[in-house]
Amino acid sequence: MTDRIPELPVSNGRRSILERVSIVWLVPLAALAVSLWVAWQSYNDRGPLIEVEFEQATGIRQGETELKFRDVPVGLVEDVGFSDALETVRVSIRLDKDIADFVDDDAEFWIVQPEVTTQGVSGLDTVLSGVFIEASWDRAPDGLVTTHRGTESAPLLRSGQSGLSLRLTAGPGVQLTGGAPILHKGVEVGRIGPPELTVDGTVARSEAIIFAPYDRLVSSNTRFWDTSGFTFSLGANGAELDFSSIATLIAGGVAFDTVVSGGAPASDGADFVVFVDEGAARSSLFQDDGGPVLNLTAVFEDNFSGLTVGAPVLLDGVTVGEVANVNGIVDMDRFGDTNVRLSTSLVLRTSKLGLAEATGEAALDFLDARVTAGLRARLISASLLTGGLKVELVDVPEAQDAVLDRDAEPFAVIPVAPAEISDVSATAEGVMERINNLPIEELLEAATTFLTSATRLSDSDDLQAIPGDVRGLVADLRGVTSAPELQALPGQAMELIVDLQALSGDLRGIAQSIETARAVERVTAAIDATTEAASGVGASVEGVPALVERLSAVAANAEALELQTLVDEATETVTAARGLLQDDGTKTLPTRLGAALAELEAALAELRTGGAVTNLNAALASANSAGAAVEAAAADLPGVIARLEQMTTDASDAFAGFDEDSELNRTARAALRDLQDAARAIEQLARTLERNPNAIILGR
Amino acid sequence: MERAHPKTPVLTARSANLVGCGHCGEAWPMGTTRCGRCGARVASRDPASLQRVWAWWVAGIIAYIPALTEPMLVTRTLLGSEQSTIVGGAIELFVYGSPGIALIILIASVGIPVAKFGCIAYLAWTVSKGTQASPGSRNALYEVVEYIGRWSMIDVFVVAILASLVQFNAVATVTPGPASLAFALSVVFTMLAAQSFDSRLIWDGLDPAEPGR
Repeated sequence: MTDRIPELPVSNGRRSILERVSIVWLVPLAALAVSLWVAWQSYNDRGPLIEVEFEQATGIRQGETELKFRDVPVGLVEDVGFSDALETVRVSIRLDKDIADFVDDDAEFWIVQPEVTTQGVSGLDTVLSGVFIEASWDRAPDGLVTTHRGTESAPLLRSGQSGLSLRLTAGPGVQLTGGAPILHKGVEVGRIGPPELTVDGTVARSEAIIFAPYDRLVSSNTRFWDTSGFTFSLGANGAELDFSSIATLIAGGVAFDTVVSGGAPASDGADFVVFVDEGAARSSLFQDDGGPVLNLTAVFEDNFSGLTVGAPVLLDGVTVGEVANVNGIVDMDRFGDTNVRLSTSLVLRTSKLGLAEATGEAALDFLDARVTAGLRARLISASLLTGGLKVELVDVPEAQDAVLDRDAEPFAVIPVAPAEISDVSATAEGVMERINNLPIEELLEAATTFLTSATRLSDSDDLQAIPGDVRGLVADLRGVTSAPELQALPGQAMELIVDLQALSGDLRGIAQSIETARAVERVTAAIDATTEAASGVGASVEGVPALVERLSAVAANAEALELQTLVDEATETVTAARGLLQDDGTKTLPTRLGAALAELEAALAELRTGGAVTNLNAALASANSAGAAVEAAAADLPGVIARLEQMTTDASDAFAGFDEDSELNRTARAALRDLQDAARAIEQLARTLERNPNAIILGR
Repeated sequence: MERAHPKTPVLTARSANLVGCGHCGEAWPMGTTRCGRCGARVASRDPASLQRVWAWWVAGIIAYIPALTEPMLVTRTLLGSEQSTIVGGAIELFVYGSPGIALIILIASVGIPVAKFGCIAYLAWTVSKGTQASPGSRNALYEVVEYIGRWSMIDVFVVAILASLVQFNAVATVTPGPASLAFALSVVFTMLAAQSFDSRLIWDGLDPAEPGR
């Protein structure tokens, strides 16, 4: 539209920097500033990184799993890796900056997963969102600790909760359930932790929490009991079904009550026993005086059955406790072999030990001293019938040195002594075994054989003839026994023996007096009488052959007499005669006779007193009368002997008909043998007398 | 298509001592600063053009870095949330059996923007330092860059559509990640950089007698 071209503006000199630089440069500068600021801020806001070690990283995902505290996300898992030896899973968590200082030593981490238990369903939200890690710490910011160890399950006492921590020990028949509620008058005031066994596996224990403010309800007089399950009782009041609540019926639970006031408030970590029911719990309070208990372990070498939980523990005959647990243990390292031993936990009431100061320590000191002095635990029979056992603490004087192992885990170990058990069952078993071992079959077989033989025997003609023979034999026997001579024989034999004894007594008295008479002292005085004595002695000696003759006759008759005596079962007489025979003097007679005669001769030679000779004469007269008695007795013998011989012959005939092995035959033969033995004995006596007539006089 | 013959002298507005209005096309004598017809500012050559190009280019690059590193999409479903960056998502698609789609995403979100940065830098560089390449081809390159610019937002469109459609509360939610904003900014900045480029500068090198600006 315009025709003229305007003048070009001419500008000279430098333009200012604002004119030369485009304003657009502000844009990248702003962008740079913004990005730098964002980067700095995100770096600045970043919390610290901590590492938590878990056994298992169930469901934890890198960059997704959150760390929650009171259900508020306070961190995020940045990395999931392993510890150095792949032993644990190491989860790196980026914490929020503002809570970092609270994650101190007492912080606890656990993984929350969906769980369906008898206590209910928990962690349901994690089904969809995935697991998360929950943490708990106290209110004191004690500074960041970067390495933690995750727990398996949620702690009993959550963050911010306060309460009393107890240790519950399961009594006999009680089953502790982890997570079960603790009730007081039906209100849940606490919770049981997962139960675990003691080191030796004898007792189940569980941590438990009584939440504040109910913790002050627990004192030393508080008793806990198991409320799980139900009880059914039938009594005077009718049938009773008792259970606390449906929840505890299924899930288990523990209730407590303080029956007697005045107990000291329980402190953290106090021990309590859970009783099987409320009655037991309450009565326990009155049975024991609530004093402390002392736990001991005794490991018995012998593994007997019969020791049960609740069996009494005696000290000096007084029940001071009971057996809390019985276990068999095999411990190669500890005992050096693989034998099964009986490991028992003993619970002693320290108050029953009679100590002034009834504390566990004092009781241990007391027991320590007693053990050093020889106190041992041993098993003894409680009941013969049932085979039940109990434990006795007893002083064993000859016990090997041992000490109370006070440092043992879980309880002090008391040394043991061998058990004293009268085992009825073992004895009965032995009897049965012996009966079992009897050769019944062999016996039956033998009996069968015997019966067969008996049948055969009874069928034999010989046996048919026996009765007649036997009858004859019996008649003979009767004849023998009824013979008047034989009837008189025992009395005569007695007389003879009495006479003989009196004679020998006299002779002994003479010999003694001779010995005691100090002959040497009287030698001179006695010399005058020598001649007279010598003549007297000569007369006496002349009488001896006659005596010997008579005695020989006696002996000859006695041979027969012995047989008759036996036949008449005059056992006493025989025994007396045998006693006489077996008298030391008689036996040693032959060897000593020479010496005796020499002695006698010496004595006689030395005799200076007439008294001795007179005595001797009297003695010889007695011997004469004895000989006469024997003679009288022997006079009847020939007839008896003849009859006896006849009988023996008959008997032999009769027995010959029997089977060789038959009992009758054996007995008869034994009888005959006895007869023969007796006859031989008499014969020997007779022969001895014959050879040494002085023997009967001197009684040697 | 030999549109330009270096040997043939061409009469340009500048050599004719005229200046054309970039808005309405009216030619004015050299020295005119404002278009008498439409009132727009007129200049024979924009002396600040290259500065602006470089400024927008740098801003585009700055915005493009978080676009690659930050997540583009945050997908929350019942079973958890998932964040994917552009390259990560493409690799995932490739691994899980969709190499075609992965290729498209890579070309549209990485290849083209990077190529644009390269082209703009190349043009700006050659204008100020001179080159042997023909002005015609460089002009063609410039036109391509200008044309493609408006389609570069396709990624952002996809994210916007997904984010608005997939909103089922707890079940599944798609929200744009920080990369989508950065990517959009980057695209805008490169478009502005391309627009700031005064294409007339390409041809100035043809006549060495002419002053540079």
